Amino acid sequence: MSRSMISVPDYCRPAALAGILVALAVMAGCGPTKVVVEGNFPPPLMEPLPLSLGVWYVEDFANHEFFDEAKGRSESSWLVQTGAAQVQMWDTLLGSMFENFVHMKGPPGPGQMNPVVNAVLIPHVDELQYTIPTQTNVKVYEIWMRYRFELVKVNGEPIAEWTMSAYGKTPTAFLQSDQAAVNLAAVVALRDAGANFATGFNRVPEVQQWLQARQQQERKPQAPRLEEVSTP
Amino acid sequence: MNRFLLRVPLMCCALAVGSGCVTSTVDEMTFNEPAEGIGDASVVILGRRHASDYETEPDFIECVGDHIASRDKSINVIGELEFINALYPWFEPRTAPLRPEDIDRLLLQEPVAEKMAELKTEYMIWIDGSTVRTDSAGSMTCGIGPGGAGCFGFGTWGNDANYEATIWDFTDKAEVGRINTSASGQSYMPAVVVPIPIIAPVQGTACDGIGDQLLEFLSSEF
Repeated sequence: MSRSMISVPDYCRPAALAGILVALAVMAGCGPTKVVVEGNFPPPLMEPLPLSLGVWYVEDFANHEFFDEAKGRSESSWLVQTGAAQVQMWDTLLGSMFENFVHMKGPPGPGQMNPVVNAVLIPHVDELQYTIPTQTNVKVYEIWMRYRFELVKVNGEPIAEWTMSAYGKTPTAFLQSDQAAVNLAAVVALRDAGANFATGFNRVPEVQQWLQARQQQERKPQAPRLEEVSTP
Repeated sequence: MNRFLLRVPLMCCALAVGSGCVTSTVDEMTFNEPAEGIGDASVVILGRRHASDYETEPDFIECVGDHIASRDKSINVIGELEFINALYPWFEPRTAPLRPEDIDRLLLQEPVAEKMAELKTEYMIWIDGSTVRTDSAGSMTCGIGPGGAGCFGFGTWGNDANYEATIWDFTDKAEVGRINTSASGQSYMPAVVVPIPIIAPVQGTACDGIGDQLLEFLSSEF
């Protein structure tokens, strides 16, 4: 009668395995509260501007996340990842706001191979703040963001640079987790950012000047063609 | 002994079915009611979200819309999210019109005017307000052991709801009515082994109050 012998490492024994699982669960509970912002963003209902716009998302923007370390034992750390939702929202917004919208292949600058466009927009998130009801006495979850936009030509020559804020809040709701509420507040803040940009783009003084200069250039009479300049 | 054991769950069920008392007041002031109803036009109910310390709850807006649509099937109520998504970004908290005259400014934009015509919006109803917890008292202790789990104690809390609905006539670009409702109630939760919530439906009462008054305004059947 033969008996096969299989050697099992110590940590695979049921008791040890259970211990490891409990330890992992406890450690997972100690990690930061993570929120990957997800939402649906509608396209804006407006006449598209007669411009060909390129967008360049810098890595910090496309992978934007915000980490807030716990101040005490009663609080937990927070990691809010907004990058994917940012790209999704700005793609939807810019795609409907401008007649032609493209993603640039690289940062605008001399010598860089890129599609030919009238201007390139480079968005940045300079600051993000959030509050949850455990931090304040107000029963709302809030997200506040400050954006900085660079509008440049394909060769990198600057056209305009401006900042813009966005704010989103959501009330406490029965059976809604902190994560779900922070996500909802972030989606509201992103919608607000889109609304602020869509309604305010034409009002940025430097952008206004640039658009006016473009209009004047387009209105200038074209140089007469050779055959039209004919003679006696 | 067996009879007593049978009675306890029955008492619990009876108490759970019961609810706390709510006091409600509704004030109404409306003009130019559509005598024949609103026909095949539609109504949109939107929540105001400008204040920094509270927000009109989306589920309250949904409740009022459902209240109207379920009692008069001929009234087409457009969902709040559907409307603000269709007209993005013109009805966001930052950009939403604050006065009926602002609608003219919005309609200058051709795509917005076309969408509004497509939705056949005749009345726009703005609701502003919230339900808050006013006070709470009592304490409850819950425990778990090898023989089972249970709670013991008593808790009570109050809720206040205050909402105001403003009705805009979309054709005349004018405000044609205001309805104010306030409701307050006290909820209780005694616990002898099993907690028995006796909830005062404060927000639901406010929703019914405002919904009934809006029905009287919009419907030819009420």
